[in-house]
Amino acid sequence: MKRRLRDVPWAVVMLLPSVVLIAVWTVYPLVKAVQNGHLRCDVTGTKCIDAGWGRYWDVFISAEFQHALGVSLKLMALTVPAGLVLGVGLAVLADKHLRGIGIFRTIFSSTVATSVAVASLVWFVLLQPQIGVFADLFSGWFPVLKNPGLLNDPGTALLAVAFSSIWANLGFTFIIVTAALQSVPRDLYESAYVDGAGNVRRFTNVTLPMIAPTLLFVTVVLTTRALQTYGEIALLTGGGPNPEKSTTTIPYLIYGRNSIISGDLGTKSAAAVLLFVLSLALALVQFRGLDKRVHYGR
Amino acid sequence: MRTRPTRVAVAFAALTLVAACSGGGSITDSGDTQPPAGESTVADTGGETTVAESTTSVPADSLPDCPTDALADATGTTEITFWHGMSGPLGEELTRLTDAYNASQDKVKVSLVQGSYEETADNYYQASADDRPDIVQLPEYQVQAMVDTASAIPVGKCLEASGFDTSAFLPTALQAYSTAGVQWAMPFNISNPVLFYNKRVFEAAGLDPNTPPASLEEMRSMSQQIVESGAAKFGLSLESGFDSGGGWYVEQWFAKAQEFYVDGDNGRTTRATKVLYNNQTGVDLLTFLQQMLNDGLAVDVGDNSQTGYDNLLKMADQTEPAAMTINTSASLGPVLAVLGSGQFPNINANDVGVGPMPGPDGAPGALIGGAALWMVDSGDDVSTAATWDFLTYLVGAQVQSEWAVATGYVPNRTDALDLEPYKGTVAADPRFAVAYQQLLDTPDAPTSAGPVVGPLRQIRSVLATAVAAVFNGEDVQTVLDAAAEQANGLIADYNARN
Repeated sequence: MKRRLRDVPWAVVMLLPSVVLIAVWTVYPLVKAVQNGHLRCDVTGTKCIDAGWGRYWDVFISAEFQHALGVSLKLMALTVPAGLVLGVGLAVLADKHLRGIGIFRTIFSSTVATSVAVASLVWFVLLQPQIGVFADLFSGWFPVLKNPGLLNDPGTALLAVAFSSIWANLGFTFIIVTAALQSVPRDLYESAYVDGAGNVRRFTNVTLPMIAPTLLFVTVVLTTRALQTYGEIALLTGGGPNPEKSTTTIPYLIYGRNSIISGDLGTKSAAAVLLFVLSLALALVQFRGLDKRVHYGR
Repeated sequence: MRTRPTRVAVAFAALTLVAACSGGGSITDSGDTQPPAGESTVADTGGETTVAESTTSVPADSLPDCPTDALADATGTTEITFWHGMSGPLGEELTRLTDAYNASQDKVKVSLVQGSYEETADNYYQASADDRPDIVQLPEYQVQAMVDTASAIPVGKCLEASGFDTSAFLPTALQAYSTAGVQWAMPFNISNPVLFYNKRVFEAAGLDPNTPPASLEEMRSMSQQIVESGAAKFGLSLESGFDSGGGWYVEQWFAKAQEFYVDGDNGRTTRATKVLYNNQTGVDLLTFLQQMLNDGLAVDVGDNSQTGYDNLLKMADQTEPAAMTINTSASLGPVLAVLGSGQFPNINANDVGVGPMPGPDGAPGALIGGAALWMVDSGDDVSTAATWDFLTYLVGAQVQSEWAVATGYVPNRTDALDLEPYKGTVAADPRFAVAYQQLLDTPDAPTSAGPVVGPLRQIRSVLATAVAAVFNGEDVQTVLDAAAEQANGLIADYNARN
């Protein structure tokens, strides 16, 4: 006990840097955003009216926010399951001790080293309707690639953004799942093999339960990332195509250069706080709902 | 206390459902149109600045003075900061000009801080008085917001104090940055929309490759001839970007038609309270464009704001090209450079023709785009004088001539035309003179100064969405009325807050 007390000053000193950084870069902005969310200010943000906490509800039920919420949830539904399945699939394929497998692992994980901006620009150029490679090669089968272009068609724009997003996040899922696969004890597979379990059986009864904690983690991260998708949209579609605004997600509504709330700090803050609450709620649902079905190997 | 996951999920779903059913209004509707009164302020106002009631209620003599002669008595070097929005090659040229200024004398040293226009504006508005720069470059759609910050020394005060001669400046450029007789800022980089066309297609269609359409009507008849002759699939390539075909060009067409775009004489005599673009001029204009699309004479390439050149690329399309499009004059240099590489078989740099932006009945002229330099009121006489010294350098004839050639912007003064390198460039390639000539041809009318209204940028976004709907074939009047209502809501909300 005495010793513990003696450690306190040192503990404080050692914690200080991260406490200060988190306070300045995370806690303060969050508090400030919550505070700004119910203010209606002039251009310089010095003269403000307090619109009350009801402002959050007004923003939440506004047509624009509801539309953006719908787009965000759609994007989440498109990217999270597909990203998860593809990531696990590739990781299982590459989890073999074969000569040269390292090359494939490098390729599969390479997108983790590709920034959203670079990935989006690559897809943007590939999908460009006039001079893009895809339009040149496949527009005979898929005229939408040329006219008006995958990113310009209200029916396909979100799908194209989701595709680019899945691709960009694949490396992350692959690396995390690969690491989890390698930590599964080999003797479990051997016992299952002795018991007569085939490849499929070993995957569903050994692999999946053993990597379930990792899958939960990846699901939560992918969900949060999907709800925070901004870069792909800013670079690929600009929230369009108009007038449907089929890719205006909540982050794009908040930060987009052509957003109608771009000049209004209070409303932007309110929308950002709502997005935070939404992500938090979803993460809680996922943790509470899936946690019990997850085997932590304790 | 562990909540059951299902319960959380159900509550969440219920909340979303309730929200969806309550059918909320617009996100911009604050439900409060009372101006913020002094006593109800939540944040600290500092008590040192008073926010102007309206554009016009600011009497000239209550605005801060500009002691331009204070630098003469100052000792040592005065350091000033310049926030600007010039990136890429434009930023490099601005850095070169600034370095040259710093090296030419030792009384003033300028340091540059670069962001995009939007970043620069946002950072400026949110900065406290102490953190503001001495000079800031802001685009034309920020005039009202900048006036409302009550943080600038009107350039007019400096012109008066120093006796600076503005007779060589383009009147339309100066007019763009003045309201109710106050010259707020100094135009620095100027662009305006021009017509780009493919001379080779014009020739193939039996049209004179050196005579671009002067009016909208001619643009249509020429498109007809181009399409019917099979010279190109489309006559015109349209887009609906908010800083181009969906917003800015509509403002241009209103100016050409000598119609106001917002009330209060475009917000220049009294503060604007509503948009006017759903009037007959607006309906006729958009119906005309819609008709061109319906008749297969034009093609819509969608929202251009991502790249700024989707409509230009349509001219280079190998299978279904368009013969003409409208784009900012600032893109002429890059267009010629890209086409000069010879990667597009159906159009090369020499095929590009440039003409004035066609208007209703061939009405000439254009509103200026680009940005201006604002003097920030630091309260320090020497800094102010130093800033003025630097500003006059940037808008000087020689610097404007060099700046125009390096960037593709239009010089803001006539005497820059006779100076090298601009003189030689225009002599070698007259296409660079079109944008300038268009400004010279602008009629001397109150409508030749564009709209000044707080949320102009957001209003452009609203209209861009409406223009896209019109291009999709929706009813013009209905769409424009809805867009006007939303824009008027934005203005009411802005005016209530400022």
